Amino acid sequence: MSLQNFSYHDTIGIASFLGRGFMNPIDLRFDSTGRLFVLSRSNASNKNVRVSAQTLDSEFLYEFANWGTDPGQTTMPTALAFDSRDRLYVSDEHMNNISVFDREGNFIERWGEFGSEPGQFNRPSGLAVDSDDNVLVMDHLNSRIQKMTPDGQYISSFGSDGGGPGEFNFAWGISVDSVGDIWVADWRNDRIQRFTADGEFVSMFGSSGTADGRFDRPSGVHVDHRGQVYVADWRNDRVQVFDNRGAHTETLFGDATLSKWCQEFIAVNPEQAGWRENAGLFEEEKRFWRPSAIETNSDGLVLIADACRHRVQIYSRLNEPALT
Amino acid sequence: MTTASPQRSTDIELMAQLLRRAGFGATRDQIDGYLKQGYEATVHELLNPVHGEHEDQDLMDRYFVASVEARTANHADPQWAWRLATNPNPLEEKIALFWHGLMAVGGVKLDHGMEMLAEIDLFRRFGLGRFEDLLLEISRNPGMMYWLDNQNSHIGAPNENYGRELLELFSMGIDEQGEGAYSEDDVKAAARAFTGWASAVTPPPFFLGPFPMEFRFDSDDHDDSEKTFLGQTGNWDGDDIVRIICEQRATARFVAMRLYDFFVSDTPNEKEIEGLADVFEENDGEIRTVLSAIFNSDHFKSAEVRYRKMKSPSDLVFGTTRLVDRFDVPELDSGMLANNTMFMGQHLLNPPSVEGWHEGEEWVDSGALIERINFASSEISRVDGRGVQRMLTRVRNSGNELDGAEFVEACLDAMGAIELSPRTRSILVDHADSYGIPWEADASDSIDRTIEMFQLIVSTPDYQYC
Repeated sequence: MSLQNFSYHDTIGIASFLGRGFMNPIDLRFDSTGRLFVLSRSNASNKNVRVSAQTLDSEFLYEFANWGTDPGQTTMPTALAFDSRDRLYVSDEHMNNISVFDREGNFIERWGEFGSEPGQFNRPSGLAVDSDDNVLVMDHLNSRIQKMTPDGQYISSFGSDGGGPGEFNFAWGISVDSVGDIWVADWRNDRIQRFTADGEFVSMFGSSGTADGRFDRPSGVHVDHRGQVYVADWRNDRVQVFDNRGAHTETLFGDATLSKWCQEFIAVNPEQAGWRENAGLFEEEKRFWRPSAIETNSDGLVLIADACRHRVQIYSRLNEPALT
Repeated sequence: MTTASPQRSTDIELMAQLLRRAGFGATRDQIDGYLKQGYEATVHELLNPVHGEHEDQDLMDRYFVASVEARTANHADPQWAWRLATNPNPLEEKIALFWHGLMAVGGVKLDHGMEMLAEIDLFRRFGLGRFEDLLLEISRNPGMMYWLDNQNSHIGAPNENYGRELLELFSMGIDEQGEGAYSEDDVKAAARAFTGWASAVTPPPFFLGPFPMEFRFDSDDHDDSEKTFLGQTGNWDGDDIVRIICEQRATARFVAMRLYDFFVSDTPNEKEIEGLADVFEENDGEIRTVLSAIFNSDHFKSAEVRYRKMKSPSDLVFGTTRLVDRFDVPELDSGMLANNTMFMGQHLLNPPSVEGWHEGEEWVDSGALIERINFASSEISRVDGRGVQRMLTRVRNSGNELDGAEFVEACLDAMGAIELSPRTRSILVDHADSYGIPWEADASDSIDRTIEMFQLIVSTPDYQYC
């Protein structure tokens, strides 16, 4: 599985119930300074949900949005998004609201409640922020995307339940590209849909299956600044890359090495190292297991939340012509 | 003893009984649906589930992503709880629960939730088929090999744990004096035959999460020499041991006895058990056929065994959950259902020992009884539940001029054709009569009173039995 347009770069992460490390990371975002924020979904009954901040050099900084229902806490958090002021939005599909934090993790406010009226949510999942700092919320059991002001006032919405163009079936991740178009991982329809900023349907690609360009429950979609489209093909345990017309260009299956944190863990737990050596599943260790979301930066790094391996795999995008 | 309702037909009572035992009870609408195809066709349908991925498996994985790579039994709980609460063929889950209790593997030692779920799925796939196939599968199950120390069983130094439990707890059993129809030499021979059967080493779960467990046979570590087992001599390996076990009358009788205990009554009936052992032997040990004989027997349909089984915590929790029907898609509360059975003494995926759980009235002590009543009473009052709404509609449609007896009967019928003892029924009727108010459609106090009656019904001693 040689790489064409990417090279493997590094891995951050270790399975951890608190502090340094992740527990089922399902979304990740950079703030404006390059800090990496990772959302650990964990197991709600174990109450290890959190957002953790770290550098790309694996320096753990702090965590917040821990388990609970009080302001500043989350229960079944699903997605992250930063606005231009480095305010971090966190969706919670149990409490049916959006919590807002500053980049240091201080709670600012939360808005939203259960329901199907404008401004109400039924399991908000994917989040994105447009160029006007409005917050797009994939209100997935209401099968619509709602556009909200930063303080939670309803602006507009689009979408309905179904399998036709402009319709959603348990949609999950969303992304806004450089021209303001909105991309949706239409999870149970096994496809990606593209809309204008006003919610007009533009195009869609993908269908159910395992071949290139087909999906098995795509959870995350991300469009980088050059228009390249990354799809977390969740149950196929891979990330597929497309141009912005939906033509498949490459597939990533995972190339992880042991992260710095894992190496440190093994160094002080030699029996674990021996156990790992005896098992010898080094190829299996590299692969994605339920990759859930993708983030990129202007340095050409592509980061993938590898949910069931408790890590973030990082690739470098190699030089290639800008997409039109 | 219970009394049948004067308005309710025997067919309804029997169907309700079947669905309580072969499943976790049924709503009145489900009973009506099954009645259209008839009793025997329903038995056939229940015994022949189409095994495949649960239609909501993707949703389970999405909302409980930690259960995809379940590192512990606790992480795996939401997966099985969802299927126990929603699988449209309840016998698929009931038979898995039966074998989980008989061939018990627990999270207290096998700290690997993924493997626990894989084993439950093994019971779904093989639990209704030939017993020999099931025994072979469980003998190649890496979790079982680990649980009973068979990875420490080597040529020249066999570990007897698996061979002993295979005979004593899984297949032939022992009598009240602790004697089995096998000897210590048979245990030793079985242990030698299973040397080299083990679980492969998997990486530690502590930094990348768990990896799936796999069975490994090491021919270099297998004792291929001659052995005498249950009177037969040869170069037996594990497959042969299982085959010979399944030829024994003691095995037929043991499996029949355990099936009777789980599906029919807490009080053994030797004649019925011997008859079921005959069915087992005559049908190549096919569990499906034995269960068919049970469910279609006059004995099963008789008043003698009606409401003579104490509900297990799973019966009570998932039966009530199915009745209330409030979960559209997996959610936090559905993920916590297994906690409720644990509070009542049945920690799913973590039985107390290799013996599993003891069925019957041992389930209920004063603490567990309070948990049972509190859970059922709380759930049955959830008016957001689709099942509760359907029950309210049924009671409302029973008429506007109900007296106390008619009102109680309407509630019992709406809750799945439940039967009560004369004394319990009399107390509830007296309580209903004390209001002196007939049902008034759409009146909120009528809804409140009906919910209260639902709560009283699930709080009766009768509701603890199935």
